[in-house]
Amino acid sequence: MSRHATVREARPARPSTGDAALRIDPSVCDGVGICAHLAADLITVDSWGYPIVRAEPLRSGTERRQAEAAVAACPRKALRITS
Amino acid sequence: MSPHLHLVEVEPVTVAAGLLDAAAVLPRHGTESLSGVAPHDLDAHRAAFGVRRSYLGDAAESLLTAIDEVHLTGRGGGHFPTAVKWRSVLVHGPGATVVVNAAEGEPGSAKDAVLLQTRPHLVLDGLVAAMEVMGSTDGVVWMHDGAWASARSVSRALAERAAAGLADPSIRVVLAPDRYLSGEATGIIRTLEGGPTLPRFVEDPARPWSQGARPVLVNNAETMARVGLLATGSTATYRASSLLTVVSAGHRVVLEVGPTSTLGEVVERAWSSPDGRPPQAVLLGGYGGSWVSWEVARDLHVDADELRRHGLSVGAGLVGPLPATACGLEEAARLVRYLAGQSARQCGPCVFGLAAVADLASDLSAGRLTPSGRRRLGRFMGEISGRGACRHPDGALRMLTSALTVFGEDVHRHRRGRTCDAPTFAILPVPGED
Repeated sequence: MSRHATVREARPARPSTGDAALRIDPSVCDGVGICAHLAADLITVDSWGYPIVRAEPLRSGTERRQAEAAVAACPRKALRITS
Repeated sequence: MSPHLHLVEVEPVTVAAGLLDAAAVLPRHGTESLSGVAPHDLDAHRAAFGVRRSYLGDAAESLLTAIDEVHLTGRGGGHFPTAVKWRSVLVHGPGATVVVNAAEGEPGSAKDAVLLQTRPHLVLDGLVAAMEVMGSTDGVVWMHDGAWASARSVSRALAERAAAGLADPSIRVVLAPDRYLSGEATGIIRTLEGGPTLPRFVEDPARPWSQGARPVLVNNAETMARVGLLATGSTATYRASSLLTVVSAGHRVVLEVGPTSTLGEVVERAWSSPDGRPPQAVLLGGYGGSWVSWEVARDLHVDADELRRHGLSVGAGLVGPLPATACGLEEAARLVRYLAGQSARQCGPCVFGLAAVADLASDLSAGRLTPSGRRRLGRFMGEISGRGACRHPDGALRMLTSALTVFGEDVHRHRRGRTCDAPTFAILPVPGED
């Protein structure tokens, strides 16, 4: 029975939970745009109506609530909050 | 006859250091007729390169070390360190699927086709060695549906190996749609998971397969062939090199060059100038690569570190010289139009944004871009950047941005409504168009 090679290097650690950010899957987004209204501090809209999501982590309780509202309201489930 | 007896009996005669022993010549389109490099059957392969070692069990680490030692990087375009990629899949345990990506989507590039048709056993030795290291029982050769000559060569090589009693693990050929993006790794993985051959947005690039799905290692055909070279057990004879495809008006040349060669030497050796003059610029890497002025390109070494210092990359190895009489803006607009058409059509910024950029680039090349059009072009390029599920639109933007810089004088002239008065046929091959 073959054995795979032992792992010698660990992968670099992912960012801690203090770096929660709003992320979009652009392949399922249809440009409906509800998110831009609910998360005005985090999302703007491009020349074709598609959301531009800010890359930086969420910085306040307000931003967190905006992000959660946008995630819940998206009819395509294109948004999520990563940690 | 048991496979172990085979490995002991055959002695390597001379171990060739490089992948190719000559330059290959192909027509402008298609990979059906190739000349210049004699294909290796199994006997010729062993005579040239020796016999593959086994990398099962504890031996696996030695191949990872060898790959690390020679700084092997992926040759599909990304040039990511191969050992790091392998280890990142191994973290998830044994049993990954291993894919050799031979879907050479870059229209001008033919290096992978040349390897599949003349060195199939190098590619397959690499694949089998990778499967042994990964503890894999599922090997895949991923190829474009229309690449008949390459597919025939792979099938013949697999049959030869079976007949010779090599006892390779299970390898299947999977055919992909004849599209530019069929070579994109997440699309390959998506297909193997039962989905469409379209890119997928992944949170963690080190884990491009679905949660709960079997891990998949994808390596370009040239990368796998290089692993095949290392799999004979000697890093001493391995030579760092690049496989390049140089595109001329009526034909293409695939050649292997070392890091001491300059692009100037490559062009001089492998390009046919239509007017006897040197080119004005060179497109390097692929249609998502970068234009480089001849003044700069002439003295640039085909060396990853030096190219990176200039913000450049070998990419998929395409070298597309632009004749002195051609118009770089026209060519760039033609390529952006092609890339926009090859969108997977999943993401708004690509579907709408890249199409809009293509329209404006055409306007610019035709000398009819208005000042407000100019502003829109700049704004659109900034808006699209980084916002697709895959890097397709970013490549197109990189190529166009470099064109606007390298052909800056032409931009100036075209804005004033005067075009280059250049011939309007395509310099670089665009499938279905020329």
